[in-house]
Amino acid sequence: MNVADWIVLLGTLVGIAAYAAWRTRHIRSLNTYLRGSTSTGWGTIGLSVMATQASAITFLSIPGQGFESGIGFVQNYFGLPLALIIVCAVFLPMYRRLNVYTAYEFLGQRFDEKTRLLGAGLFLLQRGLAAGVTIYAPAIIISTVLGWRLDLVIVFTGLLVIIYTVTGGSEAVALTHKWQMTMISAGMVTAFVVLLLRLPDGLGFTGAAHVAGALGKLQAVDFSLDPSRRYTVWTGVFGGLFLSLSYFGTDQSQVQRYIGGASLRDGRLGLMFNAVLKIPMQFVILLIGALLFVFYQFAPHPVFFNQAEWSRHARDSRFAALEARHASALAQSQSAIRAWLEARGSDDAAHEASARAAMVAANDRADAIRAEARAAIAAADPRAKTKDSDYVFITFILTELPHGTIGLLVGVMFAAALSSKAAELAALGTTTTIDLWRHVRPLAAADERRNVRVARRFTAMWGIVAVAFALFAGFAENLIEAINILGSIFYGVLLGLFLVAFFLRRVGGSAVFFAAVAAEALVIVMYFSLNIGYLWYNIIGCAACVAFSLALQAVLPPRARADEGRAG
Amino acid sequence: MTLAPGPDERADSEPPDVPGFRTWRGLYLFVFGWFVLVLALLTMFTAIFS
Repeated sequence: MNVADWIVLLGTLVGIAAYAAWRTRHIRSLNTYLRGSTSTGWGTIGLSVMATQASAITFLSIPGQGFESGIGFVQNYFGLPLALIIVCAVFLPMYRRLNVYTAYEFLGQRFDEKTRLLGAGLFLLQRGLAAGVTIYAPAIIISTVLGWRLDLVIVFTGLLVIIYTVTGGSEAVALTHKWQMTMISAGMVTAFVVLLLRLPDGLGFTGAAHVAGALGKLQAVDFSLDPSRRYTVWTGVFGGLFLSLSYFGTDQSQVQRYIGGASLRDGRLGLMFNAVLKIPMQFVILLIGALLFVFYQFAPHPVFFNQAEWSRHARDSRFAALEARHASALAQSQSAIRAWLEARGSDDAAHEASARAAMVAANDRADAIRAEARAAIAAADPRAKTKDSDYVFITFILTELPHGTIGLLVGVMFAAALSSKAAELAALGTTTTIDLWRHVRPLAAADERRNVRVARRFTAMWGIVAVAFALFAGFAENLIEAINILGSIFYGVLLGLFLVAFFLRRVGGSAVFFAAVAAEALVIVMYFSLNIGYLWYNIIGCAACVAFSLALQAVLPPRARADEGRAG
Repeated sequence: MTLAPGPDERADSEPPDVPGFRTWRGLYLFVFGWFVLVLALLTMFTAIFS
């Protein structure tokens, strides 16, 4: 990175944060602090919802996913438009009608205080424990590639997001989201155009797409019913619907983005904006990864993209031999691709088929050497990070983009980290203020200025917790997976609570509360006694909560049921 | 026993105020149709390039 890159990077990041903090420095109303401006339009709401979901990992890992496994991951988002339609039609009108600050406040009005505290507690536990990961995960990749100190990257990112989120609350978050998403879009379009321009002469987009497709990178949809396949249309539509519904409908970091705004119409249109754009956006990010794969068939690249990790272990002739074999396999693969492209132009189908088979075989040999390299690193150090696909896109950015745009693209990664972190901090601060503090100190609720001060302190507290956790996280192994497992253990039951609230109107507070506790206990026992994929616990927790609620409501004595369904 | 509230009835009677759409149901159908179209385009993309 040169001076121009630094100017672009710091200018955009600090500029956006400073502008938002300055614009929102005089907020004195709790409503504005927690829900944002009452004049926020659908465009800002839509961008804010999008920015909250798009973390830095989206822009670092997803192109890597396209590079490594192809674009089939796009199917994971197939349930999202359907989930957003349900949120628009059912969840959002109810939240606005009851004029709640948090989704868990709705549980209190629909059921009772204990159920509200249970919902808020599950959210705080899950999000609070994950708080450091949204800072740590991109910081570790960026600091590794650029050679920066990890702790300084974490502290810089953390302080920046704390300053503007604590100052302006939800309004500052929405304001920064708008500009951060603009910056992210400009950066990704720039990267896409540069990538197309860097493809070999005569290949072009269509030729590159044919090469990527022939090598298995462009299977966007898979209608297979084979349950062992990870990404299919069916897992995307059904599993994705379930996950998106729990995320957009019950996670306060998302609910807070669309609950405010000028009107119900603006919230709904903001969500529909995401329903329309999300799949095409993820498709383009994955396509960048698939095109990077083609680009690196013709450009020299390391056998292992995380060069810092490679350099730590590659100290004997075995590693040098792997590098030499990889370079040779790459040259053979390149020749095979050119031969196949020529064969495609002829009318000889048999020749084309044999050239294609030779190309696939050559690519498989290069892949096998990359797998050997990963195994060699793991053998040298079992604790080494052997997944290098997250480093593919950032390597391309740093080695192929012109100066100035490098700063912009590194800024994109930081902007994405800040945007998701800010929404998370605002949600944690809001839930702690509204569902815990105001519950304990109801009389204090009348003092607006004091409320804002308290909300600011809780937001700052969660920010400090996140930074401290991110600094500590460097010592923990498999942390991100552990956080995902934790999320799956709690998310299902949380969604179950809301589904009962919205769709099973005769079920009351005591039934759903004890059902949720029992369902959570069941999930935890199953987690420690069974060996199944952790994503299944989302479905199990939700189904158990709904089923137990119905069963308990049927057997509870009439007196226990008399105080149920109070919100009507 | 009192029933819990349903979604705001008035919410669906307010028009989306988007050109071409008089009701929210129409807009939701459009978004669903868009999803089906995207799915069809991705299927075609897979068939052409894979």
